[in-house]
Amino acid sequence: MIVASRPGAEGVRLVLESEEAMLLAELADQVDSVLLLGTPDDPAVGRLLPNAYPDDAEAEAEYSRYTRGGLRDGKRQAAQIVRDATRNEQGHPTIEVVLDEVEAWSWLTFLTDLRLILSERVGLGENGEPEDDDERDDYLRAAYEWAGFVQGSMLEVLDPMEA
Amino acid sequence: MTQTIERPEVEQETRTALRPDLPWQTIVWDDPVNLMTYVSYVFRTHFGFTPDEAERRMLLVHHEGRAVVASGPRESMEAHVEAMHGYGLQATVQRSSG
Repeated sequence: MIVASRPGAEGVRLVLESEEAMLLAELADQVDSVLLLGTPDDPAVGRLLPNAYPDDAEAEAEYSRYTRGGLRDGKRQAAQIVRDATRNEQGHPTIEVVLDEVEAWSWLTFLTDLRLILSERVGLGENGEPEDDDERDDYLRAAYEWAGFVQGSMLEVLDPMEA
Repeated sequence: MTQTIERPEVEQETRTALRPDLPWQTIVWDDPVNLMTYVSYVFRTHFGFTPDEAERRMLLVHHEGRAVVASGPRESMEAHVEAMHGYGLQATVQRSSG
């Protein structure tokens, strides 16, 4: 994968190998499914749509009522944008994605939501280390780390002061 | 290190105490999942903080477990929290202690 600046413009340019594009499209589809089908007792849904008033059930119920639909739609839209951009029906060896600063946010927020879901699925604790070796799932853990690498690389381009 | 981290909290509380018309706060909580660079970039983009200010508040979140990122009317704080949830950050609304 190549993560680079856009010559003469703000934003970021990504060049994905076909396998990377396929993996991202698949993961984006799964994030969309969690948002569409996830029930409130799924801890991953709790990470994506957290409580605004942990000590006030009534205020929280009202906050959820007014915000949950919009937050869910926004996150689904970000996942769908990534899925559509990485779809590779022609079987090209690489996929190029060029994003301005605003478009890049869909990718940044999708990668965050993906990592929040994966962290629940693989049982990561404090400091991002596995809580229990028995719960380790190599595929999910590799995806978690890779999503962090992609996001970190994008931020180095978008926000070079932080690098 | 601890001193430089704690001082801004005190300033924040003093400012809040002097503004009884601003009784609510937006709190962002530490989350081991989110990259520090991402949290900084969200703060800069959403709140318009300077890079230094965004970095300072991000480090407060990281080291202290939480940081106040805004104070004001309850409706505005809920809007900020909703935005933070949109970015995937853990954020809550609370009445300021000041």
